[in-house]
Amino acid sequence: MQSWRRKSLWLALLASWLLGLLGILPLLRLAVPTGPRAGAPQGWPRWLDAELLQSFLQPGALPEDVPQLPRVPRGGSCDWGACFDTSKCRSGGFKVFVYPAAGPISEMQQKILASIEGSRYHTVSPTEACLHLLSLDAPAGACSLVPPKWNGGQNHLVLRLHPASCSGTFQLGQAMVAEASPTVDTFRPGFDVALPLLPEAHPVRGGAPGQLRQHRRVAGTDSSACPWDGHCEQDHGPEQTHPGAALPNATFCLIPGHRADGLRFLQALQAGCVPVLLSPRWELPFSEVIDWTKAAIVADERLPLQVLAALREMPPTRVLALRQQTQFLWDTYFSSMEKVIRTTLEIIQDRILGASAHPSLLWNSPPGALLALPAFSTSPLDFPFYHLQQGSRPAGRFSALIWVGATGQPPLKLIQAVAGSQHCAQILVLWSNDKPPPPSWPETAVPLLVIEGHRKVSDRFLPYSAISTDAILSLDAHSSLSTSEVDFAFVVWQSFPERMVGFLTWSHFWDEAQGRWGYTTERANEFSMVLTSAAFYHRYYHTLFTHSLPTALRRLAEAAPPCVDVLMNFLVAAATKLPPIKVPYRRRHEDASPSRVPGGLGPAARDCIDRVAAGFGHMPLVSSRLRLDPVLFKDPVSVLRKKYRGLEKP
Amino acid sequence: MCASVKYNIRGPALIPRMKIKHRIYYITLFSVVLLGLIATGVFQFWPHSIESSNDWSVEKRSVRDVPVVRLPADSPIPERGDLSCRMHTCFDVYRCGFNPKNKIKVFIYSLKKYVDDSGVPVSNTISREYNELLTAISDSDYYTDDITRACLFVPSIDVLNQNTLRIKETAQALAQLSRWDRGTNHLLFNMLPGGPPDYNTALDVPRDRALLAGGGFSTWTYRQGYDVSIPVYSPLSAEVDLPEKGPGPRRYFLLSSQMALHPEYREELGALQAKHGESVLVLDKCTNLSEDVLSVRKRCHEHQVFDYPQVLQEATFCVVLRGARLGQAVLSDVLRAGCVPVVIADSYILPFSEVLDWKRASVVVPEEKMADVYSILQSIPQRQIEEMQRQARWFWEAYFQSIKAIALATLQIINDRIYPYAAISYEEWNDPPTVVESSPACTHVSALGTVCLSASLASTLLLVLEDYSGVPSSEKWGSVSNPLFLPLIPPQSQGFTAIVLTYDRVESLFRVITEVSKVPSLSKLLVVWNNQNKSPPEESLWPKIRVPLKVVRTAENKLSNRFFPYDEIETEAVLAIDDDIIMLTSDELQFGYEVWREFPDRLVGYPGRLHLWDHEMSKWKYESEWTNEVSMVLTGAAFYHKYFNYLYTYKMPGDIKNWVDAHMNCEDIAMNFLVANVTGKAVIKVTPRKKFKCPECTAIDGLSLDQTHMVERSECINKFASVFGTMPLKVVEHRADPVLYKDDFPEKLKSFPNIGSL
Repeated sequence: MQSWRRKSLWLALLASWLLGLLGILPLLRLAVPTGPRAGAPQGWPRWLDAELLQSFLQPGALPEDVPQLPRVPRGGSCDWGACFDTSKCRSGGFKVFVYPAAGPISEMQQKILASIEGSRYHTVSPTEACLHLLSLDAPAGACSLVPPKWNGGQNHLVLRLHPASCSGTFQLGQAMVAEASPTVDTFRPGFDVALPLLPEAHPVRGGAPGQLRQHRRVAGTDSSACPWDGHCEQDHGPEQTHPGAALPNATFCLIPGHRADGLRFLQALQAGCVPVLLSPRWELPFSEVIDWTKAAIVADERLPLQVLAALREMPPTRVLALRQQTQFLWDTYFSSMEKVIRTTLEIIQDRILGASAHPSLLWNSPPGALLALPAFSTSPLDFPFYHLQQGSRPAGRFSALIWVGATGQPPLKLIQAVAGSQHCAQILVLWSNDKPPPPSWPETAVPLLVIEGHRKVSDRFLPYSAISTDAILSLDAHSSLSTSEVDFAFVVWQSFPERMVGFLTWSHFWDEAQGRWGYTTERANEFSMVLTSAAFYHRYYHTLFTHSLPTALRRLAEAAPPCVDVLMNFLVAAATKLPPIKVPYRRRHEDASPSRVPGGLGPAARDCIDRVAAGFGHMPLVSSRLRLDPVLFKDPVSVLRKKYRGLEKP
Repeated sequence: MCASVKYNIRGPALIPRMKIKHRIYYITLFSVVLLGLIATGVFQFWPHSIESSNDWSVEKRSVRDVPVVRLPADSPIPERGDLSCRMHTCFDVYRCGFNPKNKIKVFIYSLKKYVDDSGVPVSNTISREYNELLTAISDSDYYTDDITRACLFVPSIDVLNQNTLRIKETAQALAQLSRWDRGTNHLLFNMLPGGPPDYNTALDVPRDRALLAGGGFSTWTYRQGYDVSIPVYSPLSAEVDLPEKGPGPRRYFLLSSQMALHPEYREELGALQAKHGESVLVLDKCTNLSEDVLSVRKRCHEHQVFDYPQVLQEATFCVVLRGARLGQAVLSDVLRAGCVPVVIADSYILPFSEVLDWKRASVVVPEEKMADVYSILQSIPQRQIEEMQRQARWFWEAYFQSIKAIALATLQIINDRIYPYAAISYEEWNDPPTVVESSPACTHVSALGTVCLSASLASTLLLVLEDYSGVPSSEKWGSVSNPLFLPLIPPQSQGFTAIVLTYDRVESLFRVITEVSKVPSLSKLLVVWNNQNKSPPEESLWPKIRVPLKVVRTAENKLSNRFFPYDEIETEAVLAIDDDIIMLTSDELQFGYEVWREFPDRLVGYPGRLHLWDHEMSKWKYESEWTNEVSMVLTGAAFYHKYFNYLYTYKMPGDIKNWVDAHMNCEDIAMNFLVANVTGKAVIKVTPRKKFKCPECTAIDGLSLDQTHMVERSECINKFASVFGTMPLKVVEHRADPVLYKDDFPEKLKSFPNIGSL
């Protein structure tokens, strides 16, 4: 009796306490005023008669507009459609004429001339040229002359690598201006080209690699921002290309917005330091095609503290991506004068090409637009470089391209071995011999096609339209391969479609004694080239070989046949920055001596690599110390378990 | 008394006994207090809920009832637009301030009706579209109703169409806005600029420093990086229901559907049609239609009548010529129809060109080249055309289809300028969403948030994916962006850091340390001491080695400690090695490091494993037999980039990390999944198979235990595959050996002779 009473009393007490506590909170809120009451946001009202409102397009108004023809561009204003005549470029291709220097020329100008004259765009005839290039970096006084074929400046590109040189000496008319760090106010997007501000001592070819190659730091280990007036740990690394200008060792580099700071921008890029541009008053170099948001940050100089705070909070993944992009852009477009000029020309060519220009992806991911030619395709899927980004992979077939040179025996055994591969789609015989090809060829499971060549060594790398697959197995009539070898090599190539996968290797070395590059065909513990007498590679490299190599280098190959191998390897290495891949190859008795070059290398051949390296301006070859074998290769397990049994024979 | 004693025995008697009278009194008191408090509570909470849902309770108003503002004739006029304005000169960024969400705050002025001295209205109060636009902003995350906190101000004065307003008076109306301040941070939306006869390409209303989101900019009026070029909205987007048509060849190659064209252009188009016949169709206004037919929705060619915009779906390319203005609403209709616009309007700044890559969705032809348009278009390969058609449709869906889409894209562009470090990337703006699964269509995220993808586009994308179909779903390859995309071979001199995870097998650990220290490229050795109950041996007892040795004690015995990104790791390369792996030779380890240098973005390991699809059970199976393929390497001995430690610790999807720690198993499989998923690449197995002291088999040997182990490992694969939503592992048939391995070559000349031997 009493217990229930007690319990109820307890309960009531508890309840009152609880409610008291609950009640106090709102009372407190009532007592303490919380400033002006925010209340619910008063949004834009929902009008009762919203449905009855009139459209901004009054019915019938638009079609009645009086159409007009475009007005002539206002004085001095030009854009691509109005001021550039593309008709010349369509008929004769993109040819560039460079005005010869009228007087004493600067060192810079000499470099420019040299780099264009070596390129495939150059023409000596001003009448067939699509673009006339005029460099305005001559010493003062020499630049007031209006060149002979000026034509109001139409189809002219005026190069101004220094902001101060020769400005306003004559009317530029309809000429495009390629200027270093142009101010945003005068820059005409889509017409002018923004160049980087280059130091005097910028190399013509090659150029120093990005600094991250030396010490690629992992994201997140340091997030120091380096203001340029000194307060940051400077690492005077081994890589000092500009005397007196140390490359900053920081994650972010703050760069003020003045034009003169363009130099620092480039240094930061080289150092792998993410440029943070504070309200730049100048247009970023090649902004028409380069997506700078992937490599730099353009911030407002009025909010330095907030910018720093935001940088500090940036996730390491993003920082890592930004830093790698700085290196890619530096190496691809900025590290040498030749690259800067070629990029400029490529941009103008892209404008002419219109829909068949480089897609943005080709500009902004390795290997870059200078090595991914839109003449091959505008779809990234066709190139060997973008399979990962596109979520695609190379198709499962290859075409065998057999080159029959001077000896002229139809390689019947080889054809049978290759045709036996389940991955083979077609066999092309490139008959490059004085004798006519035999009328009958062996029966094969795959189509066999004979192409007559012109007996030039570089013929084998022409982009034949008959090649229907991404993969090419390049072969010599002398080569001997087994079906197992072919099968396995192709499966490996599918994992590395951008590289060359070969059987026989050479390696390059620096000859200290003679101070030059050399190479050896001896078997060694490492290699940097694979012979194209038996190698898988992507069809694209035929296009690249034919369309991007300077004529001088291709002539070199004609003179010394082994040089084609060197050239091809250089080209692929320059595009991928990776070594080729070697797969197992069973040595046969008949090829005790290297097939292509009986009696070792002649003097021309020995000379070749050094001259090719000079032509490239740097040594792109990379050595590898590994060979890819089947997983169970020569393992102590029954041969019946193994997939590539043909490779197991001693 | 007796009872009270009893209470004392039972427990503390806080409440003394009371009489019934008292009891009633107390109960009443408590009831009163209770009721009072309930009433207070109700009073406190109830009104709030009423206020917060004022959407439905607030009185609705009519546009006609808005307050009227009379503008004196001599009220100030802003200066004309300043052509040199840039964000860092004319925009007051201090108003935006620091914002943890990196979102600008936008304020909308309340609606007023402006009249001049004589009471004549300055313009239509507001158009339907501008009302929609302001509603969209108000409903977005950008909106604020607090004028003091706003960073961007949007006047409610409607200037979408210049023809509907009086220029001078509108300018005066702008100038008297409470925060006008020379137009700083004010954003005006205009789609139809200029007026007869010379049709300026930007709004003629003097606006001083105000930003202009304009629909017909030319290169001469557009302030790059300051103004925003927007589309001219096509009301047909909402009025007409147009089922989507996928890309592919269509009946007409080139179509012109615009009505008001300059005779000279029409002549040129006529010439094109005469030359190329059926494949070119030039449409014009219908002259002989009966009155009740909407002339906007019909087009005619000679006597044939076509429905507009349906006819656009019949064409591959559609001409968008300049009219009196550069910006044409037809562009929106064309994109919607999946027809590739052929823009012939010199100097026109395409909509949102600051962020959208129009090369992917359109063809721009100079007016002078109009005669060549056909041959220019014919040179485009079919595959690229289909890509452009898809892209055009995607642009419409994401950025053109509604006033809301246009408004939000504009604000996003301005937002990205103010918070560049949080800006949306090129890919997010331009890449059409890929369909992951055959899930409902509204889950695809564009730059601006969720976008509903129409069914047919989804199906075409799926079709594309199916082209790559292999056996199980794992063979669908998704696109990846490799975090280590730069092709670099790290310098050999950097060396690697070996991380040995150990619990208490000190003797074995010391042997591993001694063996590993013989590897030339080792630069540091890190022992992760995972035993909290036991201290590591004294310093003097550890083997003396030539590189720094560091012991890290962990707080908890977790497998994920092995993959923690310790500050002590100074090299890019990490060798994870178990404390019982003593059979690897120095040559093998050094060679493994050399291989890693050539593949720094992959896992490079010694024992290889494979995952297989079990057709009977319809699930994944773990395989450790002698197979011809590998898809995983065990991290009991593997090289990898330090970055993956960061990913494993902080970016592992789902609950995998905790799951692994809880089950004390499969951390290596998790790492294989993670790396393959993020790089899209396969592992590299190095050197021939060795008789490892089977890292799978635990202390006791035995078939049954081995089998349960295999079952557990298979479970891990299935679990991880479901968390990742895909099977990222890639199967390869190769392993890496030294160049001259097993070659007929003098052993003493080989770099790594001691490989594969036991």
